Amino acid sequence: MLKMTEIKKVFRTDLVETHALRDFNLHVDEGDFVAVTGPSGSGKTTFLNIAGLLETFEGGSYQLDGEDVSHLNDKQRSQMRNEKIGFIFQSFNLIPDLDLFDNVDVPLRYRGFNAPERRKRIEQSLDLVGLANRMKHLPSQLSGGQQQRVAIARALAGEPRFLLADEPTGNLDSKMANSVMSLLQDINDRGTTIVMVTHDQELARQAKRNIYVRDGKVSELHEVSELPDAVTA
Amino acid sequence: MLEIGPIFRALMRNKVGAILIAIQIAITMTIIVNAVFIIYERSQKMQRESGIDEANSFYLSSAGFAESFNAKVSIKEDLAALRQLPGVANAIQINAIPISGGGWSMGLQTQAGAEYDGVGVAVYMVDEHGVDTLDLEIIAGENFSPSDIGWRETAQRLWPDKIIITKSMAEALFPDDPFETAVGKTVFINDTEPMVITGIIDKLQAPWVGWDRVENAMLSPENLNYESTRYFIRAEPGQRDSVMKNVEEFLAESNTGRIIRSMRSIEETRERSYRGDSAMIKILTTVMIILTVVTALGIVGLASFSVNRRKKQIGTRRALGASQGAILRYFMLENFLISSVGVFLGAALTVGLNVLLVNQFDLDPIDWFYIPIGMVILWIVGQLAVFGPAKKAANIAPAIATRTV
Ligand SMILES: Nc1ncnc2c1ncn2[C@@H]1O[C@H](COP(=O)(O)OP(=O)(O)O)[C@@H](O)[C@H]1O
Ligand SMILES: [Mg+2]
Repeated sequence: MLKMTEIKKVFRTDLVETHALRDFNLHVDEGDFVAVTGPSGSGKTTFLNIAGLLETFEGGSYQLDGEDVSHLNDKQRSQMRNEKIGFIFQSFNLIPDLDLFDNVDVPLRYRGFNAPERRKRIEQSLDLVGLANRMKHLPSQLSGGQQQRVAIARALAGEPRFLLADEPTGNLDSKMANSVMSLLQDINDRGTTIVMVTHDQELARQAKRNIYVRDGKVSELHEVSELPDAVTA
Repeated sequence: MLEIGPIFRALMRNKVGAILIAIQIAITMTIIVNAVFIIYERSQKMQRESGIDEANSFYLSSAGFAESFNAKVSIKEDLAALRQLPGVANAIQINAIPISGGGWSMGLQTQAGAEYDGVGVAVYMVDEHGVDTLDLEIIAGENFSPSDIGWRETAQRLWPDKIIITKSMAEALFPDDPFETAVGKTVFINDTEPMVITGIIDKLQAPWVGWDRVENAMLSPENLNYESTRYFIRAEPGQRDSVMKNVEEFLAESNTGRIIRSMRSIEETRERSYRGDSAMIKILTTVMIILTVVTALGIVGLASFSVNRRKKQIGTRRALGASQGAILRYFMLENFLISSVGVFLGAALTVGLNVLLVNQFDLDPIDWFYIPIGMVILWIVGQLAVFGPAKKAANIAPAIATRTV
C-alpha cells in the first residue's frame, strides 16, 4: 500500500547539510492506522511530506498504491495527491477568505468534478463532521476543533485512500483532540488508511500501530510501554 | 477548471487592495485612451498635405531700404534672374506662405450684397508662375496668363476680375454642384466686387494650420508693388539646400539697396507651425508610458504582496492537488477579474472624460472602437504584470503547507 525502502532526504543550505531521513523503511498496509511519534526534529514531518508527495527524496524507493512515484513529474504528483491522499495539518490550513463550502470545494475543483457532484460531496462530508449547518460560515467564526473538522471534511470529500495528518491535535485542547481522534477512528473504520504524526502519547496509543522515529530512522514499537521518555520532548 | 466563483468571493472578502488597483486601472485606461485619441487626431492633422512641394521649396524676405530702390523693377529683375539660376525650378513673389501661420484672408460669396455671408478663404497673390512654383495641379479651368497679372499698390482695395480657387473652396461655395462646374461662375469679394472663377486647383492649404477651413484658398493674379516682399522658390529635387545658399548670395549681391532675411525652408516652417502639436504628442506619450508603468508596478506590487501573504494557502492548495499551472491560473484569473472591474469602470470614465473634453476644449468625440481596444490593452498589461508574481506563486514548494510557524 505505502512502501518506503531506504529513503534518504538531505536538506542543504549554504552552511549545513541536514540528514532529515537516513535509510527510512516503512510498510503501511491498507486499512491501517499508524501513529508516528518521535522527538522534535527527528524527521516526522519530512517523512509525511515525502509520503504525501509534497517533497522529493534522494535515495531509496517509494511505492504508493503499487506505483513507483520517483519518476512522476510535478503534474502527475499533484494529480496523485488530489486523488489518493487527504491532508490534515496542525494549524488546519483552511483558506480564511473562503466559507466552509468553498473550502471543502477546493480539492474537488482540482479533481474536475461537475457542480452537482461537488455539492453532493461537500454536503456529505460536512455532514460527516457535524458542520453541515455552517456551510456559509468563515473559518474564523469557528472554534479550533471545528476548524480541524472542516479540514478533515475537506480531506475526505474526494474519498482518498490515505489520510496523512501532521500533529492534527497539536493546536487543540484535550477535549477537542479526543473528538478529532474519534472522528479519525470512525474514518479508519470505513477503510481509509491513516498515518498520523503526533506528540500525544494518549492518542498514539489509540492507533492500531505505533512507529517511533529518531534521527531520521524508524524503530517500530508494538508495546506502548517501550516508548522512551524523549518522545514528549 | 475555472474557479471564477471562489476567486471572486475571496476577493470580495479582501477587497481594499483590489479595489484600489481596479480604480488605478480605470484611471489609467481613461487617460491612455483619451490621450491616444488626441495623439491620433493631432498626428492626422500633422500629416495633412499642404499641396505644395514641401521638400524642395523655401522662401525669403527682400526689404528695400535705399532711396533709389524701385520695387517694381527689382521684383521683375529678381524673378527673371532667380528663374535662370541653376537648380531653381521656378520662383514667384507671394504675399503669404502656406502653413506658415501668417497670411491674408477674405470672404467670397455667391451673391452680391452685404446681407449675404461670405465663405472665408486664404488669399495668395501670385503671377502666372504661381501654379508651377507652388507645384499645384489645375484640375478644371486654366492657369492665369501673363496678361492677367496686375500690380497691387499698398493701399489698394480693388481686386482683379479672375481667381483660381481650391477644390475645397469650390465645394464650400457651391455645395450642391460638382466642383468643376464652378469654373466660369462669378463670386463676390468685399460684398459686391465680382470675380470669375477661371480655374480649380486640387489642393492648397491656408497659412493657418489650426483653422477649421484650412483647405479654403484662392490665387489672385497679382504682383505686389511693395518695397518689402517675399519670394517663394522651388528648387529642383534634392537641390534645395545648395540653392538656398546660392539664392541668398545672389540676391544680396545683385541689389545692394535691400536686405535679404528670414530665409526658411517649408520643412522648417511645417516643423514650427506644428511644434505645439508635436510637443503635445510627446507630453501625452510620456504621460501614457509613465501611467502604464506605474499601473503595471502597482499590479506587480499588489500581486507580490498577496502571493507572500498567501504562501501557506498556496502550499495547502498544492497539497490538495493543485498543479503549478492551477496556481498560475489562479493569480492570472484573479488579476483578470480585478482588471475587468477596472476596464469597465474605465470605459465609463473614458466616455465621461471625452464628453468633458468635447464640451470644454472643443475636441472631437472619441471613436467607439477606442474603448474596446483600450480595455483589451489594459487586460493585457494586467496579465503581463501579474505573470511574474503568479509564476513565483506557482513555484512555491507544496511542503510549505506542513511548516508550522
Ligand atoms: N526545508 C528545510 N530546510 C532545511 N532543513 C529542514 C527543512 N525541513 C526540515 N529540516 C530539518 O530536517 C530535520 C527534520 O525536520 P522535521 O521533519 O520537520 O522534524 P519533525 O517533524 O520530526 O519535528 C530537522 O533538523 C529540520 O531542521
Ligand atoms: Mg513536524
